[in-house]
Amino acid sequence: MLSSLQNPRQAAAQLLNFALILSTAFMMWKGLSVIADSPSPIVVVLSGSMEPAFQRGDLLFLWNRNLLAETSVGEVVVYNVRGKDIPIVHRVVRKFGEGDAARLLTKGDNNAADDTELYARGQDYLARRDIIGSVVGYVPFVGYVTIMLSEHPWLKTVMLGIMGLLVVLQRE
Amino acid sequence: MYNSLTRIQNVFGFFTSVAFVVAAIIAASDLIAPRTPSGMIEPTSVQVVKGRPHYYSTKKEEYAIIKFSLEADLSSLFTWNTKQVFVYVTAEWPSLGADGAVTQNNSAVIWDNIITSPSADHLSNMPPVALRRLIESTAGRVIDPGRGKFQLFNHKPKYQITHPSGHIAESSDVKLRLHYNVQPWVGALTWDQQGVDLGLWKRLSDGVSEAFALPPVKRKDDAKTSSSKAKTKTKSKAT
Repeated sequence: MLSSLQNPRQAAAQLLNFALILSTAFMMWKGLSVIADSPSPIVVVLSGSMEPAFQRGDLLFLWNRNLLAETSVGEVVVYNVRGKDIPIVHRVVRKFGEGDAARLLTKGDNNAADDTELYARGQDYLARRDIIGSVVGYVPFVGYVTIMLSEHPWLKTVMLGIMGLLVVLQRE
Repeated sequence: MYNSLTRIQNVFGFFTSVAFVVAAIIAASDLIAPRTPSGMIEPTSVQVVKGRPHYYSTKKEEYAIIKFSLEADLSSLFTWNTKQVFVYVTAEWPSLGADGAVTQNNSAVIWDNIITSPSADHLSNMPPVALRRLIESTAGRVIDPGRGKFQLFNHKPKYQITHPSGHIAESSDVKLRLHYNVQPWVGALTWDQQGVDLGLWKRLSDGVSEAFALPPVKRKDDAKTSSSKAKTKTKSKAT
């Protein structure tokens, strides 16, 4: 840190490099979002309601286009309950009707009862627009870091502290 | 030039690229494992009752209880990258308008089962004794040739089926269909291919029942007399 202060050109290069990494990540995320037509094309599993298929911390890739077939019974979908902003990953177990008029019922594989109780008050079924994507790809465990960071905020401080220490202690 | 931070960055970067390549190879290996699933399904007894399908149901509605027989061999779906196979049976039936034309199609799961691969047995949600027995049954083996083979005769459905309209009795052209969903350890989730062969993955042979119709609603007094009959029978046996 101190050494880079003495060389403003190098400091500026480092700053630009950092900004480049951030903007590349953001562009990839948004690009994936456009391709998959989903506001959140990659999600981390937060609960054990789909065990043993998905554990907490697993990474899921979503696809929200109906190019070949409609979203149908048996697919694992991620949906948002109206009025709540918590995405839920469950399997479609009933479907009545087609297209935008379809009424869908979901259930977690590890739950005894279906999701009627999880839905908003007065909502008995999901519509297609409540769904933000069907699960198409799976990578285990990789997302656990985000769960750790959100459940133990002090870890963020520790991580920043270690990074800062490394920057200060390093020698050119 | 080489300080500790760049060294850590390099090691971490190398680790992630190696992990990514290994994961991609494992995921791609699914494509060279042949799949030859087969299944026979037929309904054995069908009943429509009016009542509350769940304890938390707020209204009385018609629901159908479809017992079925199933003989399936899905053992070829289990490879080293299989975590579990989710097997499910759906009932599919059309809703008819007043003029007899199809207004919408309906499908509902009546039965499902999770078959874990031996490598995922420890994750399954079952009583400890059964779990220990399951794990011991395949000690040291990656693939158990018996997994995915099953025969069910006149099996009770796990879920009774309903319709948002509250009416389901006397629906015609109902079909039962067997499906599966293969969950890998890493890679793409795959389903039954709905009548299409994809390379080494053959379609599910058979797997659909003949069309049948649901009976009219069973009247309450019918049910009462039959259940009271059953009770008297057991009583007479006991005495």
